[in-house]
Amino acid sequence: MGQHDRYDAIVAGAGHNGLTAACYLAKAGLKVLVVEKNDWIGGAAVSRSLHEGWTYSNCSYVCSLLRREIVRDLELPKYGLQVIPYEGGASFSSDGGYFAYMSDHDALRREIARHSAHDADAYDRFSQTVIRQCRFIRPFLLRNAPDPTSLKPRDIGELLFLIKQAHGLGKKELGETLRFWSMSIGDFLDEHFENDLIKAHIAGAGIIGTGLGVYSPGTAYVLLHHYMGDVDGAIGAWGFARGGMGAISNALGACFEEAGGTIVTGSGVDRFLVEGGKVTGVALDNGDEYRAPIVASNMDVKRTFLQHTGQQHLPDDFVKAVKRFKIRGSSGKLNIALDALPEFPAAPKGAPFLRGDLHCAESLNELERAYDDWKEGRWSQNPYFDMLIPSQIDPTMAPPGKHMMTVFVQYAPYDLEVGGVRAGTNWNGQTRGAFADCVFDKLEQACPDIRSKTVHAEVRTPWDIEQEVSLTEGNIFQGELTFDQLLFNRPVPGYAQYDTPIDGMYIVGSSAHPGGGVMAAPGANAAREILRNIGRGGNMTGYAA
Amino acid sequence: MTTATYDAIVIGAGHNGLAAAATLARKGKSVCVIEKNNTAGGMARNTTLAGGIEVPEIAHLLYNLHPKVKKELGLGTSRAPLEVQELPAVSLSADGNHAVIRNGRAELPDGRPHPEAEPFAELMRRLTLFADLLGQLSTKSPPSLEGGLTSLETLTELAGLAKLGLDLKRMGKKDMREFLRVLLSNAYDLLLDDLEDGPLAGALAADAVHGAYAGPRSPGTVFSLMYRLGQGGGAQLPMGGMGAVSAAFEKAARAAGAEIRTGLGVARVLVEGDRAAGVVLEDGSELSARTVLSNTGPMPAMMLAGAEHYDTEMVRRMRNQRCKGAAAKVNLVLSGAPEFTGLSPKLAAGRLLIAPSATYVERAFNPAKYGELPENPVIEAVLPSLSDPAMTAGGQHVLSAVVSSVPYGLESGWDEAARSKLASVTLAALEKYAPGIGALVTEAQVLSPACIEARTGAPGGHWHHAEMGIDQILTVRPANGMAQYRFGPEGYYLCGAGAHPGGDVTGLAGRNSALQLLKDGVL
Repeated sequence: MGQHDRYDAIVAGAGHNGLTAACYLAKAGLKVLVVEKNDWIGGAAVSRSLHEGWTYSNCSYVCSLLRREIVRDLELPKYGLQVIPYEGGASFSSDGGYFAYMSDHDALRREIARHSAHDADAYDRFSQTVIRQCRFIRPFLLRNAPDPTSLKPRDIGELLFLIKQAHGLGKKELGETLRFWSMSIGDFLDEHFENDLIKAHIAGAGIIGTGLGVYSPGTAYVLLHHYMGDVDGAIGAWGFARGGMGAISNALGACFEEAGGTIVTGSGVDRFLVEGGKVTGVALDNGDEYRAPIVASNMDVKRTFLQHTGQQHLPDDFVKAVKRFKIRGSSGKLNIALDALPEFPAAPKGAPFLRGDLHCAESLNELERAYDDWKEGRWSQNPYFDMLIPSQIDPTMAPPGKHMMTVFVQYAPYDLEVGGVRAGTNWNGQTRGAFADCVFDKLEQACPDIRSKTVHAEVRTPWDIEQEVSLTEGNIFQGELTFDQLLFNRPVPGYAQYDTPIDGMYIVGSSAHPGGGVMAAPGANAAREILRNIGRGGNMTGYAA
Repeated sequence: MTTATYDAIVIGAGHNGLAAAATLARKGKSVCVIEKNNTAGGMARNTTLAGGIEVPEIAHLLYNLHPKVKKELGLGTSRAPLEVQELPAVSLSADGNHAVIRNGRAELPDGRPHPEAEPFAELMRRLTLFADLLGQLSTKSPPSLEGGLTSLETLTELAGLAKLGLDLKRMGKKDMREFLRVLLSNAYDLLLDDLEDGPLAGALAADAVHGAYAGPRSPGTVFSLMYRLGQGGGAQLPMGGMGAVSAAFEKAARAAGAEIRTGLGVARVLVEGDRAAGVVLEDGSELSARTVLSNTGPMPAMMLAGAEHYDTEMVRRMRNQRCKGAAAKVNLVLSGAPEFTGLSPKLAAGRLLIAPSATYVERAFNPAKYGELPENPVIEAVLPSLSDPAMTAGGQHVLSAVVSSVPYGLESGWDEAARSKLASVTLAALEKYAPGIGALVTEAQVLSPACIEARTGAPGGHWHHAEMGIDQILTVRPANGMAQYRFGPEGYYLCGAGAHPGGDVTGLAGRNSALQLLKDGVL
């Protein structure tokens, strides 16, 4: 028999959203327990030591979307969080050339003009549109998605807020916004630019983590998910969390424990306990049971309801809607320990942009073909990657003189096709090795000596990510970011405000509005809703108070 | 030199141009339609092949002719006779388990209900309900959002939309939520949530991307499927070929008093003091008019008036319009009636689809993205001669095939070799379901999207003049700021499929533009 401790609220899963929700609840005076199946906290925002001396951010690897309101409310810097912005990035072409991206406007303009004078002019128009759309969307991230079928004053209020924001755009921009939101990143870039390398460089942000191609409508919007963040107020900037992404989770964990919260690691939730339509607690894999009138699941919506909740407690329509929610694994990762910094023969020695995100995609068609491979259950034969060497900026990631490289790879399927059968279990030592080889071959386009400098590499397929982090299909957003799964549709129409058909049970992960990325917005928003629903909305700390 | 004065000149005698002319003429306006080809009809024409047999040149079936247009123009009455026959859809399967869709129900070839008849019926119930709802928008000009969201004009428009909102609410929460969920999503996921990935799902996936530059996995294809289902989703075979449809529009226009001149095109639109003043014909003669409507694609319409009459942004928007055609037409003359495995002659006369699964349809589109021909194309074929004795001559039959996912911008260029490759790919696909059909072919006409552009002037040879993506419909069709048919200089209007509500032989773009013109008081 296990323990029968009572809490005010239990959070299942110590990912960054679960911890964020837990922090807000604990700070509001609730007695909160976080349970985590792994021996460590952080979910997909972790720093792992898998090769002695090196630290891998082995899932998420860069930081920008984390809402600054939340950083402030929870005083995360006090608990050790330091985000260091990185400068620029580059795409290398197979003929030995490169396009470098830098945040200095004049330098960037000169660099674009080196490839195309036309595109240098177009870039200003492009960035104006993107920034305008970012400004438009940012206020919605920390608000509830209104239920359009509801006549409750709060939903109508949120709808009116949306209309007010849209009206604020003005007539011309309203039309452009309608268009932008429904376009493909490929078409959007084709409208502005002529140079293939420049287009390919920007396009990556429209597909990262999704099961869509660069010419799939809706990917222009996904671009925003990579542009709307900031580092210390510099919109669109990205940075490294010092000590790896685990620094974010550790800061949240420390904040939570200081607020009086308890974290239990090493055993996951076996099932959510429900009695008479009300949640009463959780039963863990090790047999322990904990009781609370509020239970918040940081697991994705499929895992929560299809694997850990008795189906008899849920309406059939809801189960059907959860089943059809699309969570598609589309990306893998290589985390590489390097003996020394690799050479980039195309770039000037010591170029600052080498400290940013590096790519080898040369055209939109190449990216689209990479997507076609994925649709058929293959990893991209000519993959897109987003590669960084954070140890150049953050020396804590590797021993002195050595380096750590993180390579995010798009696309890799969850259900790999082998001999006509598609299954996650087809990922084994052999297929994983072949996948890594394919990525290394492509990395050599940028740094030909990469193989000789590699001392250890961790290969992460969507299957591995699911096994370890429990993200369904290894999807980094806990659900595709398509319109049928955004705003009031996320995760299930009618349950888009963090609530569920079970009284007292909530969804606090990225399956909920506003979606994925290390943003912490779903967790914070969910905590706000929970406190409102138990009549303690006034206890909410910070931005939403 | 001015030779005549009209209230309105319509450029192009496609069905929308004729619908616009008829609508204006019925209000007592003097209208002249100028058509560069020798016959009216645009994409809805018959052509006579070398062997003397008549075939529907490009379009071959009626899907979406709007009842309002039909009624207002008197199509199908003695004034403008038109006879049609409803065809079942037959989605072919290599194992002979074809799926037959008749009156929105799924059956097997022997008439028994299809094993997936129930989920199919529920899916169709939802989709046609949503299509009906959206259909309300098709008979009016789309909201322009002029002056932002709170101006009087916009509020009046929004009041018009209030009925839509009310009807949406009236569907009940469940359907309303489903509508808002699926509206912008992709057909592939929607279909496979409820159906097996077989010929039934394939048929709807093919319909969702018919004439479109998209695969069924592209978000936005549920909208195009709903558009296709605007009048219930059936297909009608016009007796006497599609030419008969255009002939009916033409008769309706003439009966209303419009004049139609064929065989000489318009070289440019006369613009005087930022006002349309008439047209200059290809022979240099001028016709003056108080207003001009163009049934051409949006970009050609702009070029006819002269880009200098548009601000830079408009020109850029036009240039960026997505209008890459992705459907070709193959007309085959057969020495006898072909036999399709597992199909009765009656079903062989139906709308035959080669779309054995939604995945097949998606795969067929892949090569088009890179300017290549599909190896296994999606085909919609019909043998009009099996239903319509007028379309046969001396025991010969005609197989009219729309081949999807054939790119306008073929990497190798559209030369004779490319066209003959397209013919052989088409025949190879047909051969799988109708063994021996190749031996019956006595003549083949292959029209690539490039040929369609050359024959009709439609940009990119695109069926709908411009892609019907979410980014190019309603308020942003043909482009942001040009949604209400007014097209640059005062008195100049766009009346073709590039305008709201879009393509198919609906007649609505023509009718709506004429009504907008009358409402604007420019006459």
